[in-house]
Amino acid sequence: MKVTFPHMGQVYLAIKGLLDDLGIEVVVPPPITEKTLEIGTKLSPEMACLPLKINIGNYVESIQKGADTIIIAGSCGPCRFGYYGVVQKEILKDLGYDVNMIIFDPPNSDYGVFIDKIKKLAGKNSWISVAQAFKRASAIVKEADEMLDIALKKRAREINKGDVDSRLNCFEQEVLSRHGNDEILETIRKYKEILSQVEEKSDVLPLKIGLVGEIYTLIEPYVNLNVEKKLGYLGVEVYRSITLYEWVKLHLSLDVKYRMRHKRILRKAAPYLSLCVGGHAWQTIANTIYYSECGVDGVIQIMPFGCMPEIVAESILPRVYQDYGTPVMTLVVDEMTGEAGYFTRLEAFVDLLEQKRRGRVDGYKEGLFGN
Amino acid sequence: MKIGLPRALLYYNYYPLWHAFFEELGCQVVTSSTTSKSTLDRGVMNCVDDACLPIKLFHGHVVDLIGRADAVFIPRLVSICPGEYICPKFIGLPEMIKSSIKGLPELLVLNYNAHRNHKDVHKPYIELGKIIGVKPSKVMLALQKATEKQQAYEMLLRKGQTPLDILKGRKYSKKEECKGIIGLIGHPYLLYDEFISMGIISKLRNRGYDVLVPENIEQSQIEMACSQMPKKLFWSYGKKLLGSGLTMLEEKKVVGIVFLSSFGCGIDAFIVELLQRYNHRQYRIPSALITVDEHSGQAGFDTRLEAFIDMVEWRDEREGYVPPYGTSIFGY
Ligand code: SF4
Repeated sequence: MKVTFPHMGQVYLAIKGLLDDLGIEVVVPPPITEKTLEIGTKLSPEMACLPLKINIGNYVESIQKGADTIIIAGSCGPCRFGYYGVVQKEILKDLGYDVNMIIFDPPNSDYGVFIDKIKKLAGKNSWISVAQAFKRASAIVKEADEMLDIALKKRAREINKGDVDSRLNCFEQEVLSRHGNDEILETIRKYKEILSQVEEKSDVLPLKIGLVGEIYTLIEPYVNLNVEKKLGYLGVEVYRSITLYEWVKLHLSLDVKYRMRHKRILRKAAPYLSLCVGGHAWQTIANTIYYSECGVDGVIQIMPFGCMPEIVAESILPRVYQDYGTPVMTLVVDEMTGEAGYFTRLEAFVDLLEQKRRGRVDGYKEGLFGN
Repeated sequence: MKIGLPRALLYYNYYPLWHAFFEELGCQVVTSSTTSKSTLDRGVMNCVDDACLPIKLFHGHVVDLIGRADAVFIPRLVSICPGEYICPKFIGLPEMIKSSIKGLPELLVLNYNAHRNHKDVHKPYIELGKIIGVKPSKVMLALQKATEKQQAYEMLLRKGQTPLDILKGRKYSKKEECKGIIGLIGHPYLLYDEFISMGIISKLRNRGYDVLVPENIEQSQIEMACSQMPKKLFWSYGKKLLGSGLTMLEEKKVVGIVFLSSFGCGIDAFIVELLQRYNHRQYRIPSALITVDEHSGQAGFDTRLEAFIDMVEWRDEREGYVPPYGTSIFGY
């Protein structure tokens, strides 16, 4: 069995660590490139959302490298994500790739099925070693997120532009040759240290922008056209409302305190939206309010084209702006999104926030909403 | 009290129920005008760009009711069946309307959610009654009468009428010399909105075919067809489309299948994809996907439909010649 999985930001670190520790051979899909997208677009239904297409590209590239089993996460609606696995399997089947697909739905209700699937994967490993491997893998998720947070802070302040990213690139090279949770964790820690040493300007007060929106688009840099990097180079400090670690805490662990906090933030959205409409739309509204209260300069909502829940959020956000006054911009990405136009919009938004900070703009043009 | 009923989205599924309910409560019901270019334009103007056509259209119908009704009825259907959902956009509908349309009258929101249990389904109606100022006992009576109307409606549907036939009060009887039956798969708010579907049902009938629509298929058959899926389909209406499509294919009743879908519809993207793949793999019946959006023109639509009919007839002449995978004109 050679296992592969779709890319989603840093998730590959934890899955590789976990599978390594369980003694399962793993094929990390090659980094997402234009070619990945091209494969995915060609083979997927035209109307499917971008994440699905990129997933397909990942699978095909991994299968070419010998993978025969795919593991993915699922959900039970109402967002389309919950049915990804089934559709993807049919697509692969018609292509003649008869791979095994293991779909992990969040164990909210049914731990039995979840455990069965883990057993299927874990084979002869004892429960204790499986549990330990999971624990270490979640440490990877946590520390990898912390590493990214350091990068976000530093990028906005670095003296030599590009210092942060050249180090991150080295990290990506280096970590691939590591084996198992422990080695990967060690590498992450090493680079956390290295990143902290990047020299920064002392006298800057960067603009702060919070990112909200659909989870995959937020977490996978290729899909959001490296929005964090681009904003960083514009001297903006970026805050991420949704990270992998938070997802893990919310869905796979029993961290009650965290869940309470999560609920508290969600409650802020009550005047605008008081129930889950699928995906992360509710969080999008709630986090926009939360960020406004924390005093960020602006909020950017990112979603893939046609994302049903986020469209609901998008139409509500202007009201949040009216009440809180923090500018919000929506970015919709699909396979046709051009890098140049995208960057121009980011620049214009940052410009506006700068002017607003200097007190030059009082009324903010509603025209900036949406696309 | 005058209550406005937007003629869009789930109107076609539930209008007998809702109409009767409000009338029993002693309200006057005003339905928005049938869709026209101006309804659509107003919808597009008053809705976020990224929404799909049916949602924009709903906005247009709400705008149409402004000034004509004291309150507008907005159904928020989170789930119509335990363990299932419908499109996320239906869940956020009232919020979208509130944020996007100015000068709204009062909104009567029906918060219906059967996700966890089916027993309390009358509660949201009682809430509605409270807002209007009617006692629960009277509401229950009204609901009961309305439910009977709804059941009678659904019975007619299962006997082969389309919602349009019933709405217009023209009973349709099957043709003597029918060239065959064409399956028409799509959400009710596309198929039965004649402006959007460009009268596809009458067009097919005029060409000598009978149509079969998802509303004609028994729920039990739909359930059975979908139970073969490797994972439970959790969208009730998605399931309805897929299940009725599969049933039509399986029973070999239809000579062709047309999917009508709106551009950017997330659910259709999956359902149509699956159905097309199963069809190509197993049944190989001529099929066409027609996608509509706010820019669709009559001419393009007709050409596609013609091409599809040609294909059905061409194949008919060659007695069951099976076109190889990939020759369906608009399929993949
Ligand atoms: S099911 Fe599709 S067409 Fe209907 S509202 Fe949802 S996205 Fe739009």
